[in-house]
Amino acid sequence: MKTKTNTQGGRYGRSGLPVEFDGIARNFKDVAALKSFNLHADPGELIVLLGPSGCGKTTALRVLAGLEMPDSGRVTIGNHDVTSLPAAKRNIGMVFQSYSLFPNMTARENVEFGLRVRGQKQSDRTARSNELLELIGLKDQADRYPHQLSGGQQQRVALARALAIKPEVLVLDEPLSALDAKVRSSLRDEIRRIQLELGITTFFVTHDQEEALAIADRIAVMHQGQLEQLDTPLAVYTNPATEFVAEFVGTVNRLPGKVINSNTVEVATVGPINYAYDGAFPSGSQVEVLVRPESIGVRDGGDDTCRVLAKSFLGSTIKLTLLDKSDRLIIVAIPTSEAALVANSETVSLYSRGDALLVKDGAR
Amino acid sequence: MVTIAPDITSKPGSANNSSDVLRLGRPFRYIVLTLVGLFFIVPIVSSARFSFLGNHNSFTISAYTQLFGTAQFWSTLFLSAKVGVGTVFLTLLLLIPTVVWVHVRLPKLRRVFEAASLLPLVVPSVVVTLGVITSFRGLPNIIYGTPVILSLEYVVLALPFSYRALDSAVQSIDLKTLVEAGQSLGSGWIKLLRYVLLPNLRGGIIGASILTFAFCLGEFAVASLLSFTTFPVFLVQVGQLAASQAVALSLLALLFTWIPLAVITIVFSQRRAKRSTPVLDDLEIS
Ligand SMILES: Nc1ncnc2c1ncn2[C@@H]1O[C@H](COP(=O)(O)OP(=O)(O)OP(=O)(O)O)[C@@H](O)[C@H]1O
Ligand SMILES: [Mg+2]
Repeated sequence: MKTKTNTQGGRYGRSGLPVEFDGIARNFKDVAALKSFNLHADPGELIVLLGPSGCGKTTALRVLAGLEMPDSGRVTIGNHDVTSLPAAKRNIGMVFQSYSLFPNMTARENVEFGLRVRGQKQSDRTARSNELLELIGLKDQADRYPHQLSGGQQQRVALARALAIKPEVLVLDEPLSALDAKVRSSLRDEIRRIQLELGITTFFVTHDQEEALAIADRIAVMHQGQLEQLDTPLAVYTNPATEFVAEFVGTVNRLPGKVINSNTVEVATVGPINYAYDGAFPSGSQVEVLVRPESIGVRDGGDDTCRVLAKSFLGSTIKLTLLDKSDRLIIVAIPTSEAALVANSETVSLYSRGDALLVKDGAR
Repeated sequence: MVTIAPDITSKPGSANNSSDVLRLGRPFRYIVLTLVGLFFIVPIVSSARFSFLGNHNSFTISAYTQLFGTAQFWSTLFLSAKVGVGTVFLTLLLLIPTVVWVHVRLPKLRRVFEAASLLPLVVPSVVVTLGVITSFRGLPNIIYGTPVILSLEYVVLALPFSYRALDSAVQSIDLKTLVEAGQSLGSGWIKLLRYVLLPNLRGGIIGASILTFAFCLGEFAVASLLSFTTFPVFLVQVGQLAASQAVALSLLALLFTWIPLAVITIVFSQRRAKRSTPVLDDLEIS
């Protein structure tokens, strides 16, 4: 894949630019969409912005693209402060959530639009649009109008159109959310392939955790207009910086526990679990422990048993919904290879098979 | 977006109303159509008949020949057409940027602008006329003392029609996203207007032009108040002297409104049909 970038005579052979959000604030009346928002993207990296609705993801992208002016703070691309540069001068490729192709132009004319407004010759434009239509696999549909294309095809053309101008940064705001699941996952992989091929610094917004975990170099988890954590998908999942991140990415169980020593906590129903906490709690403190479903194992029998409420088969794992003796719901995910353990059991007992995600003060 | 208000966006007569009509059956539909047709056609036909009626019920075209021979007929017609074209031009110049700007930058004020555009329907036209006159009092005589002032009046008076036509065209596309997409691709406003906005708002622009032009060709009160002898004013003057000529005139007025409308519609629909080959490219390269 990567070799193609070089054989194209440097057309793509540019590794991306670093992007920096520095203390961005943006208010809409009394709503603070972004407040002292900081984020640094390395050259060529794909950063997924993830967070609940209204946390400011779109606003962040729009500030980067120049479609929204921040009240304060700076946006830097490469070494240039672009904060006061209008959108048309930023050279940022943007793909929108809603279909945004120009309805009066064919796929090819859409792709060429950015070149046309730059006054490029028709022959150059055609060459470039051929190249991009090929890249997104829509060469045969070049002369169709947007209304003659499927949703997925339209978003591909939108991607090609954004890339045609050789943007310094690529920005995609939930580009796949209007598509059905199958198209979504294939187009997602394709976007990632193209992004890697071009080595372009990219920001991608999604609501879909699986999508985020699958394509991101790093995930930026946002909460109430601020960056909560910026880390690799694995680190965000296994080592969340805050309770919010732990809850938002993946599933967690919250269980009361009592600290035994600086790296073990006794958790209700599950038993002793290891944890790593810098400012260790004194032994005996009552705490709340966050545990991932796959960090809990099940076995037959035992005294402290849970009732099995539901089993759902998810392919490589089985998700169990359990009710313990104090009526707490516990979600456990076991590998499918252990299916036999719960094949006939109405009740199971639990043990820890991984570390606690987070330990926080005070049981509820 | 679209699904939220299906009643507005779906074609008129579909879904809701049609079920009732269908239940009443086809005969009912034909009766309604016939009645409506008669309502429009009977007056036109009988006017036409009357205009060709000579002494002792003979057939004559003298009403027309006399009219065509009158210098004032041509001069007033020319004046009305001139004012109409000027008004359409000013209207588009004023409204296209306004409507676009309101949608992209001031979406919260959309309702306000819409309500304001309806004011000329509510406020008596004499008041609007005086208002416009007063506002432009300071301007040089080329505007104030010429039919230009009439065009300025008509821009305001035709607002309820022109603004609505453009506004609904804008609403039927995702204007904000298209504008932002264009900007992020490096386009300034001029090129956005030329390549994106005008082509996609064509329907609304044609509609607004037609309505405005028709309005100008039919307006009497303001023209008369400002002492301009436009076509409708001439028509009324003639009507006080020669009835059959007046009727002939009003038929001609109908024609003169319809012909430009037909031409505009045909020209634009042909341009649209040709679109499948990239028209703008040809225009632009040289
Ligand atoms: N143009 C605007 N006018 C007023 N408030 C706005 C505007 N744009 C965004 N907001 C507010 O700013 C906050 C952040 O909005 P933003 O669109 O950035 O969220 P988001 O993370 O993209 O959400 P979603 O996942 O739903 O798209 C929200 O509370 C929103 O209501
Ligand atoms: Mg959003």
